[in-house]
Amino acid sequence: MFVKPFGYERAHTLGDACEMLRAYEGDARPIAGGQSLLPMINLGLVEVRAVVDISRVADEGIVEDDGHLRVGALTRHGELERHELVRQRQPLLSAAARLVGNIRVRARGTLGGSVSHADPAAELPLAMTLLGAEYEVTDGHSVRIVPAAEFVISYFTTQLRQDELLVSARVPTLGPGWGWGFVEFSRRPGDFAIVAAAALAQCAEGFIVETRVALAGVADRPTRLAAVEAAVDGALVGELEQRVGPIEGIDPVTDTGASSAYRKRIARVLTQRALTEACRRSQEST
Amino acid sequence: MTDRVEVSLTVNGRPTTRVVSAHLSLLQLLHDEAGVADPKYGCGEGVCGACTVLLDGEPVSSCIVLAAQAHGGEVLTASGLTSPDGTPSPLQEAFHLYHAAQCGFCTPGMLMCATAILAGSEPLSRAQIREGLHGNLCRCTGYGPIVDAIEAARGVR
Amino acid sequence: MSTDEIRSSKQQELRVVNRPLARHDAAGKIAGTTRFAGDFAFADMLHARLVRSQMPSARIVRRDASRALAIPGVIAVLFGEDVPNNVVWVDVPGQTIEVAALKASMEVLATERVRFHGEAIALVVAETEEALAEACQSVDVELDDLRGVFDAEEALSDGAPTVHDEGNLLAEWNIDRGDVVRAFAEADIAVEGEYTTQFVDHAYLETEAGVAWYDDDGVLTIRVATQVVEHYRDIARILGVPESRVRVIAPFVGGGFGGKEDMTVEPYLALAVARTGRPVRMQWTRSESLLARAKRHPMRMRYRTAARRDGTILAHDIDITSDSGAYAYLSALVLLYSAVHACGPYDVEHVRLRTRSAYTNNPPTSAMRGFGGMQVVFAYESQMDRVARELGLDPVQVRKRNALARGDVLPVGQPIETEVLIADTLDGVVARAGVRPEPSGPRKAVGRGLASNLQSYGRLVWLNDSAAAWVGFQLDGSLTVRCGVQDIGGGQASSLAQIAAEILGVDLDQVTVHFGDSARTPLAGTTTATRQLYMSGNAVYEASTILRDQILRALADETNQPFESLSMAEEGVVGVDTALPLREALVVCRRRNVPIEALGTFFGPKGRPVVRDLRAERVFPDFTFGSHLADVEVDLDTGHVTVLRYIACHDVGRAINPRSVEGQISGGVVQGIGMALLEEVVLQDGVNMTGGFFQYLIPTAADVPDVETVILESGEGMGPFGARGIGEPPIGPPAAVIANAITNAVGARPTALPMTPERVLACIEQGGRAGGEGAP
Repeated sequence: MFVKPFGYERAHTLGDACEMLRAYEGDARPIAGGQSLLPMINLGLVEVRAVVDISRVADEGIVEDDGHLRVGALTRHGELERHELVRQRQPLLSAAARLVGNIRVRARGTLGGSVSHADPAAELPLAMTLLGAEYEVTDGHSVRIVPAAEFVISYFTTQLRQDELLVSARVPTLGPGWGWGFVEFSRRPGDFAIVAAAALAQCAEGFIVETRVALAGVADRPTRLAAVEAAVDGALVGELEQRVGPIEGIDPVTDTGASSAYRKRIARVLTQRALTEACRRSQEST
Repeated sequence: MTDRVEVSLTVNGRPTTRVVSAHLSLLQLLHDEAGVADPKYGCGEGVCGACTVLLDGEPVSSCIVLAAQAHGGEVLTASGLTSPDGTPSPLQEAFHLYHAAQCGFCTPGMLMCATAILAGSEPLSRAQIREGLHGNLCRCTGYGPIVDAIEAARGVR
Repeated sequence: MSTDEIRSSKQQELRVVNRPLARHDAAGKIAGTTRFAGDFAFADMLHARLVRSQMPSARIVRRDASRALAIPGVIAVLFGEDVPNNVVWVDVPGQTIEVAALKASMEVLATERVRFHGEAIALVVAETEEALAEACQSVDVELDDLRGVFDAEEALSDGAPTVHDEGNLLAEWNIDRGDVVRAFAEADIAVEGEYTTQFVDHAYLETEAGVAWYDDDGVLTIRVATQVVEHYRDIARILGVPESRVRVIAPFVGGGFGGKEDMTVEPYLALAVARTGRPVRMQWTRSESLLARAKRHPMRMRYRTAARRDGTILAHDIDITSDSGAYAYLSALVLLYSAVHACGPYDVEHVRLRTRSAYTNNPPTSAMRGFGGMQVVFAYESQMDRVARELGLDPVQVRKRNALARGDVLPVGQPIETEVLIADTLDGVVARAGVRPEPSGPRKAVGRGLASNLQSYGRLVWLNDSAAAWVGFQLDGSLTVRCGVQDIGGGQASSLAQIAAEILGVDLDQVTVHFGDSARTPLAGTTTATRQLYMSGNAVYEASTILRDQILRALADETNQPFESLSMAEEGVVGVDTALPLREALVVCRRRNVPIEALGTFFGPKGRPVVRDLRAERVFPDFTFGSHLADVEVDLDTGHVTVLRYIACHDVGRAINPRSVEGQISGGVVQGIGMALLEEVVLQDGVNMTGGFFQYLIPTAADVPDVETVILESGEGMGPFGARGIGEPPIGPPAAVIANAITNAVGARPTALPMTPERVLACIEQGGRAGGEGAP
């Protein structure tokens, strides 16, 4: 209701789409699932002169590639959640996808859309950052690779230029002996997370050998917790919780959802829980 | 700039072709052009679920799907669950029997969410049904009767 | 639900009433064919939208529509000066001029000043929604900031900016009973607490909507989502036309809860039609609804309670401040309900009560399910648990000890004339609850809480409430009911069908109800105050009884049988050893010039208006009593609260339709849980920050358990067949139940709503780790 009219272009290849975006000189936005863009338009938060629909562009889907999964940018969240390859080879990604929105969002929303939207509290950007994924980006002429950890540069802002689109994400698979954890805190299931934590851990004989842990919702981008990883390095699994102290170096916002102080507290709790899950799974796998 | 688009789709089994404004939502197309008024505007954000329809078999928020994006698709709404001779579907019967509709505004969307939940064949606990329904808001019933109806439709009760 | 129980006394042999029959209105809703207010279109229909203030307190410096009018497709832009009578009166009969005049008013469209964020300044009418959107952004409004006040107590302090010229004090109600000072002096303990509640939105799934047009006779007809068709009178006044020239139709409403009790789109639709001569549609967006619709009154409630060692409550010293927002609407009445209900379902001998409602530049506040009687439950039931805890007594026993009984008198002066089943409702939930569950993990704590309440049903007695209904047979024996009742989802219309069918001996599927039409159905009053089943139910009961007796009398004369020996049943008119099919009985009536229809009017009890210092023999017709119990689990690290189990027990007098009763209880409880844990309209210096359903969080199916209902039927109600109203009562206890349960789990008490994880975490830190006082 009461949306300022905009135009519609349908692209059949990403190259065409990039060309159309260039023609609109920044006044057009790509749309795939529309699950972020259209609510913002309906709420009057965003105005566009046109949308370029890329949802019908042929997409390679999900393939295994030398110890990695390559996931096409147009993969719907529901597909990511249920795909056998993802469940087997990178279950953290499947778990993250399951937490996105509700069943309708997951039927339409795409990986490329979520990652490009760069909501600081979103699940998939967090998962990608933690897993050390790389994005393949095109402007229709050439392709470049951007590490997920460098992709977001500010709130809801990525490196993508106006005429660039995500092609795919290349995600390392879960190595042998590694466990994963993904936990989210929200007021109701399916809501935007207040804070989310993702972790990987490798344990051996009751000790923590290596971890990776990152948070969403505590900064303008997914945040790796190098200090926490260092703090738990070599610890007994049972000591994990004590080793994770208050999370340093984060300054979350205060908004109608939660205060900064509360977010910081939750950040610590979720970090502990995600690491605990990851360690448990690591130990179960051996 | 293309500000009008031709959209052809099947709505509850009826083929429909219209030329509409590019920014028109699927919900508005259904209401204004296809004579299907049962999915409702509740929020425009894709949060409340009152506009839920099945698009090519998947539940979507029709308020945040462009009509243009639904081109070539098959749309099923709650009124399409009723057979042409007016016989309600087993799911609709269950809603009736278990008083799952009070004011009725969320009901069409709720029915389509229920249809999606029931599409699989694995058993569903009440907790799982509730989880599946979490994206469809109801302000009247407290959800219990709706869960009852879905359980009944699944054949549990 | 598989878990319902019904325990009845005074059993009646009923055929249709008291049966869980599927409601007739449900079929269309489930088939998706029901046309709500927004699902209506005319070929030449226009669209209307309001231009609203972006500031909470400002002087209007300039308004200019020229840019908007230049847009193709824009038909008209109206300002306040274009409204024939630019005022909506809220008249609160009974409040004297001791406090400011209670005949409060507001403009339809603001002309000189805006007093809240979202106040309507201009009405735009256009051919398409697109033109409308552009036009609304092109109406130039210049506002000059005026210092505003955003806290009710601050508004009542010296030097506060005045929201209205008469001053910021809108209403006061006081009660003094007994000797509170002496009671506190003699008491063994005194406990005190300060409790606050928040701005709550109705959040009905259907936003405010309607379509209006001139009919072929030139009558302005408005088909609108409303709880009150009687607003046709207000609309007529605004337009300056006779009341008989305006008609309001209420289709099935997609949720009301008090939010569609005041006018919403009606005056604007009427103005647009009057200006253009064409049909006009208006629907508010969700953001607009969250912004502009009047909210539930936030209250600050300070209670000091004196008790004896045995748990007897000797005295309450109560102070309540309520935020009326920018305009009065129904604030004075809401405050009155708070005052009357403030001590709960208990007999308290000494009471000192001071309540006041103040204007602020916050959003206006008005009716919402519970209407002031529900905010106070949070306070008085928290106090009851505090008393129990302080004295080391069982919370159930403390409540039973103090529960009202027939013959007791409420602090306001109203005697309780019916049986009060508080003790039974407490037993009902406790018996059902069984043993408390164990926590699901080491960092979780489980607590149990309960609460009892009373909530009036039926309107204030000095409002001279009445409802009328017409019942008439068709020649083929089917039955038509005409009643102005507005059906907002609580089965209001279908209950009437059940009552008429019961009395006239017909099958339910032979009954058709025409409802909600100010011109074509006898007026039945508002669908509010839990009054419809009581009022229109009794009106239909009355009309049906008159009609039945008319028919039986005619048949008695015709067949020479005693009147007393005849009855109406499925077989028709039945005598000692005769049975005449209904159709033939109707032919007899027609032949004898006996009407086969009747009009019935039911008048509610009367009483004298009250003054600020409340003392009345009677304020409400009657009350509904109940108790709820819940088990909650608290996450000790995050403060998140999960409601594991919820049981509600009310004495409903007689359940006309048990499934509808369960549905009302279940829905009311979930709304109460929403207010307790999730919902808040957030304001920052009067600016409404809550822009959509992604921010205004109402419970989803995954947030609440099944609501287990235990229904008691005392037969003591004043509604048809002894029914009591059940629409509002269930929304009262949940916040207190959950607060008591959290306190039980973590040892410290939340006193502010909503009980967010953040607030609960603060309690956890206060109270130490999992502890609690033991299960009730």
